[in-house]
Amino acid sequence: MKKLMKTTISTLAVLLFVAGTTVTAQQSDYQVVQDFRADYNELVERVDNAVSSEELSEINADIDALEADNSGHSSLIDGYIYPNSFEGKISDLRSRYAAAENNVQVIESLNEKVAELEDEMAELRDRLSALDEDSQALANRLERAAQNERRLSNLVRQYRENLENRDAFVSDLLEDLLKRYQTMDAQTQEEIAAAAEALEDNPLDLLRTILAEYINLAERETGLDSEDYLRMRAQHGYFSEVWDNVGERMASTYAAEEPVQAKQEIDDHLDAWLASVDNKLWNALSTSFNQSGVQLPSFTSATAFNNALNTYVDEMTEVSLGQNSEEDYEMFSNFSEFWNSTVKAEWGEFLVAGNVLSQGDIAAIDVKVGSWGQAAEPVSNLMFILFLVSLAVIIGLIVLLVTKKE
Amino acid sequence: MAKSKLLTLSMCVAFLFSAAACSSLEISNVDYSQPVESVLTVENNEVHDKRYAIKFNISPVLDEEGISSVDEIRLIRSNRGYYFLTASGFNHVYVLEVTSGGLDEKNIIRIPGDALQQPAFNQRDGFIELVDLATGDTHNLDHNGRR
Repeated sequence: MKKLMKTTISTLAVLLFVAGTTVTAQQSDYQVVQDFRADYNELVERVDNAVSSEELSEINADIDALEADNSGHSSLIDGYIYPNSFEGKISDLRSRYAAAENNVQVIESLNEKVAELEDEMAELRDRLSALDEDSQALANRLERAAQNERRLSNLVRQYRENLENRDAFVSDLLEDLLKRYQTMDAQTQEEIAAAAEALEDNPLDLLRTILAEYINLAERETGLDSEDYLRMRAQHGYFSEVWDNVGERMASTYAAEEPVQAKQEIDDHLDAWLASVDNKLWNALSTSFNQSGVQLPSFTSATAFNNALNTYVDEMTEVSLGQNSEEDYEMFSNFSEFWNSTVKAEWGEFLVAGNVLSQGDIAAIDVKVGSWGQAAEPVSNLMFILFLVSLAVIIGLIVLLVTKKE
Repeated sequence: MAKSKLLTLSMCVAFLFSAAACSSLEISNVDYSQPVESVLTVENNEVHDKRYAIKFNISPVLDEEGISSVDEIRLIRSNRGYYFLTASGFNHVYVLEVTSGGLDEKNIIRIPGDALQQPAFNQRDGFIELVDLATGDTHNLDHNGRR
């Protein structure tokens, strides 16, 4: 029985072998060559269009298979595709594969960069949106609480904190932009520019959004005072400085087709923001000085503000020199106190950073305030009184001597 | 006498030179074999093999086969220089010999059984292999017939 089975199996094996040989014999050489050509062309197309490592790895296996399946027909294929050859075609495929591998590496690196930038943008936008939502909510609450002074004061404090947080966040972002783009080499710039084409939301869009919200914040009526608007101007000054340093490079990177227009757009936003801040700042400053008893001439620009301060101090010094009254001294004390403890101590940093007053301007006013102080200081009458007393004593003594002689 | 001998010798030399000049150039052992058959589309009963630069009308073959038209024909040239021609629906393989400006019938080989369904020629060492891919039948041919 076992022997019979063995024989059957052997017979089947022989039959299968014969059938296999027959199948091999029944092939068409023409079909073999056509199949090779079709497979080759398909592989060329796949290699040329490959965009991922996974695709390439499949293609590599298929090239190996094409070579293995057809190496037995190489002379047939050589004859048909002369002057090309089977080896030449496989070698061509491998060269294309190597080139595609490089391209895919570049594509994948760009994709990674795009994903990285998109994540970064999304995170920044989320944080910005959260800050803006808080700010809007606080502004709405401020409007509703206008009647309740205590509550209003708390809300203004919260609103101010929110603006400070927003400024800090934007400053960090600007610092990051400065670090990244100021020293960026041309190759990195090209790589990012290539990746940026695939970005839905790029850093320029983010900057535009930030600026639009800054304009909105500056225009909002929310009970802010001089210090808040000066802080906004300082933030504008920092933003402008960073943009001057990196704007051109960022525009070339993220708006490669229209860099000049893209840069101009941000410049326009910056101008609009400054105008919105100034629109509130000069009135707020004027009010602050008035509330401290300092009646400055009207001003609507940084230069005019500087001139107003100088004019005021000069005029008051002249008055003090002429009158030297207690009232003048009181006015001087009042101005000096406000100038030193509020303008310089609290606003000084923002005045300089916001390009309202320079350190030189402040120093010049300081000198004038010193002169005013000297002029306003009341002169003492003690010497005059002593002189009169001495004169009276002398006259008295003379009268006494004359009287005694008589 | 001496003059006559000199004349005869001169004539012989001249004849030898003339004979050498008139003998034609001959190249032997030419291998005409086409490595892979040509599958040619028939348009207005004409086929054109651009690869091997041959163009002819197949009407006489169709008449002989008793078929009005075919879509394509299979053509291969043997090492001896004979063209083997057949097509789907044919019962024969036509062996054609190149003549001056024409192709003459060298042989018409009857393929036993039904008409060919998916014929294909393969160049093999010393013969042409005809395969019917539909039935798996294989025939080894040369210009004299089936081997």
